[in-house]
Amino acid sequence: MINIKETVSNYRNIRFMMMAFIIFVAACDSADPDPDPIPLETQVAEDVPADPASGRDPTTGRAISNNLFTLYDLDANQVVLSSSVTDPAQRQSDSTGTVWDLGFKSTTIIFNGGSSGPGEASAQILRQSFDEVVEAPAAGYISDGENADCPQVQTPIGPRPGSTLAICTGSDNGWYNYDSNAGLISPIPGRTIVMKTATGNYASLRILSYYRGNPNPPDTNAPSRYYTFEFIIQTDGSRDLRNTVSMK
Amino acid sequence: MIIQRLSQSWMGLLWTVCIPVCFFALAANAQQASSDSSQTDSMRIVQMDPVIVTATRSEKILEDVAVPTSIITVDVMEREGALRLGDVLANQMGIALFDDHGTGMQVQGFASDYTLVLLDGEPMIGRTAGTLDVDRISVKGLSHLEIVRGPSSSLYGSEALAGVVNLVTAPPAESMQGAASFRIGSHATSDMMLQMEGGLKRTGLRLVLNRYASGGYDLTPATYGPTTPSFADWTVDLRSRFVISDRIRVRLGARGALENQESVFASGTNEFLEERYDDEGRRLEWSIHPEIELQLSSKFRLNTTLYGTGYQTETYHRRQNDGALNYEDKFDQTLVKAEMQLDMLWGAKHMTNLGGGVIGEQIGGSRYGATRGDSGPESTQSYLFAQHEWYPSGLLHFNTSIRFDHHSDYTGRVTPKFAVLIRPSDKIRLRASVGSGFKAPAFRQLYLSFTNPAGGYSVFGSLPMLAGIRRLEAEGQIEQKFFDLSKMDPLRAESSIAFNLGGSIEPFKWLHVQANVFHNNVRDLIETQPVAQKTNGAFVYGYFNLARIYTRGIELETKIQSHLTSNALVDITLGYQFLQARDREVVSALKEGTVFGRYSNGRDYRLRLGDYTGMFGRSPHSASLRAAYTNTTAGVIASIHGRWRSRYGYRDLDGNNLANRSDEFVPDYAVLGVAVTKTFSLVRAVEAAVQIGLDNAFDHTYPTLVPSLPGRRGYVSVQFNF
Repeated sequence: MINIKETVSNYRNIRFMMMAFIIFVAACDSADPDPDPIPLETQVAEDVPADPASGRDPTTGRAISNNLFTLYDLDANQVVLSSSVTDPAQRQSDSTGTVWDLGFKSTTIIFNGGSSGPGEASAQILRQSFDEVVEAPAAGYISDGENADCPQVQTPIGPRPGSTLAICTGSDNGWYNYDSNAGLISPIPGRTIVMKTATGNYASLRILSYYRGNPNPPDTNAPSRYYTFEFIIQTDGSRDLRNTVSMK
Repeated sequence: MIIQRLSQSWMGLLWTVCIPVCFFALAANAQQASSDSSQTDSMRIVQMDPVIVTATRSEKILEDVAVPTSIITVDVMEREGALRLGDVLANQMGIALFDDHGTGMQVQGFASDYTLVLLDGEPMIGRTAGTLDVDRISVKGLSHLEIVRGPSSSLYGSEALAGVVNLVTAPPAESMQGAASFRIGSHATSDMMLQMEGGLKRTGLRLVLNRYASGGYDLTPATYGPTTPSFADWTVDLRSRFVISDRIRVRLGARGALENQESVFASGTNEFLEERYDDEGRRLEWSIHPEIELQLSSKFRLNTTLYGTGYQTETYHRRQNDGALNYEDKFDQTLVKAEMQLDMLWGAKHMTNLGGGVIGEQIGGSRYGATRGDSGPESTQSYLFAQHEWYPSGLLHFNTSIRFDHHSDYTGRVTPKFAVLIRPSDKIRLRASVGSGFKAPAFRQLYLSFTNPAGGYSVFGSLPMLAGIRRLEAEGQIEQKFFDLSKMDPLRAESSIAFNLGGSIEPFKWLHVQANVFHNNVRDLIETQPVAQKTNGAFVYGYFNLARIYTRGIELETKIQSHLTSNALVDITLGYQFLQARDREVVSALKEGTVFGRYSNGRDYRLRLGDYTGMFGRSPHSASLRAAYTNTTAGVIASIHGRWRSRYGYRDLDGNNLANRSDEFVPDYAVLGVAVTKTFSLVRAVEAAVQIGLDNAFDHTYPTLVPSLPGRRGYVSVQFNF
């Protein structure tokens, strides 16, 4: 049975609330002295090399690589120093500054801070989807070399310690899963890296692919160790990851 | 080459035994042409209560067993044109077949590793990655199959965690008879069988010789090499019985099987890097099974069994352009067992079985480093079991059993089981049981010592682990150890607690409905974990008791058996299974809301418990059908048989280790077969049966996902019974 009286009163309530909302929004608008917020754009970095195979060992046939990091600058959305650059002098000069924010080598990700570099970068991994993270958390950021909480694997003889990097290494511990049957590295969905850049700005980031060309579905026949990731960087110093007031 | 020598001696044995017996049988048959041929008459319609032995290690009427049990008779196997064990199990309620290093059977949602396969009550060995390939076992010469679902470790020990499948041969007949059959079908598949049987009241002997061969098939012509290779498989099975006196009976069984397989394949997907190889494989298995039954008194019976079995495989990959041996793998397993069982009947209401035995096992092969001396790893095991059955009244039947297993290389185990059967009327039976099951660590989990030459990683079983790590350390190959390996606990057996609750009802004479609800709670499942990192960046893996899962579901079976007229019978069995097989860690993560999926457009979405489709390879719904129409006057049997299974996950693409996207599933499919058999009398005492059949009539194939499912296949066979 429908209670007509109640339904009518509900309509009244809704109308009243809508009016109140419009007045409130208008009031805010006129009272706010700041410039209009500008929506932040999601940027994509494609096929960032992370120490891919540079050849094959002639005797064992195994892939060999330079065993070097690629360093990346989020502000400029570009590679600062590629893992293919082997010149020690250039690597030294490019890696000591605060231009780069994070680095990639194989499945390992480092941040320019702590034990990895001279910057202020630190990071944490959230168990939320990229879209859900509308504001960077105030706390919880860890510098490389200071992580004591990498997921411990329960074994009969106690927990296995993880690495001390901000983003834990190993399958199912950080940003990826490794399927040993298919030999496939796939980013864990619903894991968002939230970080402070080398200069202290907030950014959120998620990995889309570990294979060149971002094949969909993931394909182990594509060369591996090529990151495609998307990120949002806030340059006004706030933790807001939706809008910015900075006129970049 | 041991296998070659053995295979030659097998063939020698075959011909020396087979030819004289064959002549003997034919001659005897000619002499006794008037002897009763009804025993081989497959057209008979016999409806009597089948007797089974597997569920309680003693003869019981199927309906009076307190645990879920099924039987498949030779008549059903023959009318469906089944050649291999896999053909029979495919259409059975509650059993799903799954490809993983061979075709394995799933019972109550467990992988093939967890079901014990017996031949006349003794274990069949030879598993690859846990899978016992049901397509390698010939069903020729069997009288029936018994399938017990739910754990039977309290009677059979390890592996009987999900269930037991027992292949039972009939005792050799008390007359002279024989059978010969020939079948030819698609993919150059052929099957030849010769069976000779001769006996008197006190002795009997049966020899079955079977050759099964196929040209293989290729479902993916674009890639080099067949989907299933060509092979030829020989099976020799010998069963005999001797009544020494009224109190002493002796049985001797033996079986040998040999398979040669040839294939080709290419490595590398890039045409310029493609390297082609010849793939050659050989497999030999044998078993010998003497048994003495002593009737000590009218109430005491003592059975002494000796059993020996062996399983050997060899694989060679040779590069085609220069014939160089690129890969070689050998595996060799031997098991010897001695067992005694005392059956005691205490009046009409109590029965006790006591037993015990010892098992010695040895394995050798490329991947198993020696742990003691130069030979492969050896283990010994001893066990005791007891079972008591109590019939307080016609209404109730209690069965309690317990078994203790002691093993040299893992922690010992006690496994109990309790079952009750309630019979409120002749037409209703209720069954409830609670029991424990266990599965011993597999060979690889105990003894493996393997370093992958291409990947550089190493895997050690729990026994060679410490020595292996120390050796790598001495060679300077270890970068970092993750924990103190000297404090490792020994590996435990995987174990379960299971509940089965069900019953059967026969509302009409022609209708029989059976239902069972099961829940298996499993802990200490063994998984690999990295234990150290090498200087080359690769890991060293070990085996640990880690995962906890549960499987639960419902099994339903309806049998309709009715005479349409005095000479026509319909026999229909419909089966259905609902199944949930779940990892507890995944369940709790889903409840927490920390598991996501990623659409192929890149968007992430949170997964709920309802999105969990269970462990890979498990269909939540499956159904089976066996229907036959028999006309005794016309000598015709027509059979339609098949199964359907709902979709099941088989891989992960979006990084959550779960099947949630449509491209991570094998779609649902139905496989249906038909066969028509016509029987007629050729001359007196010689009966012929011609069969025409079609398997997989809908021609469903999933070339890469279900390689064991060939397309539509036809066959014609002829059989003579004399």
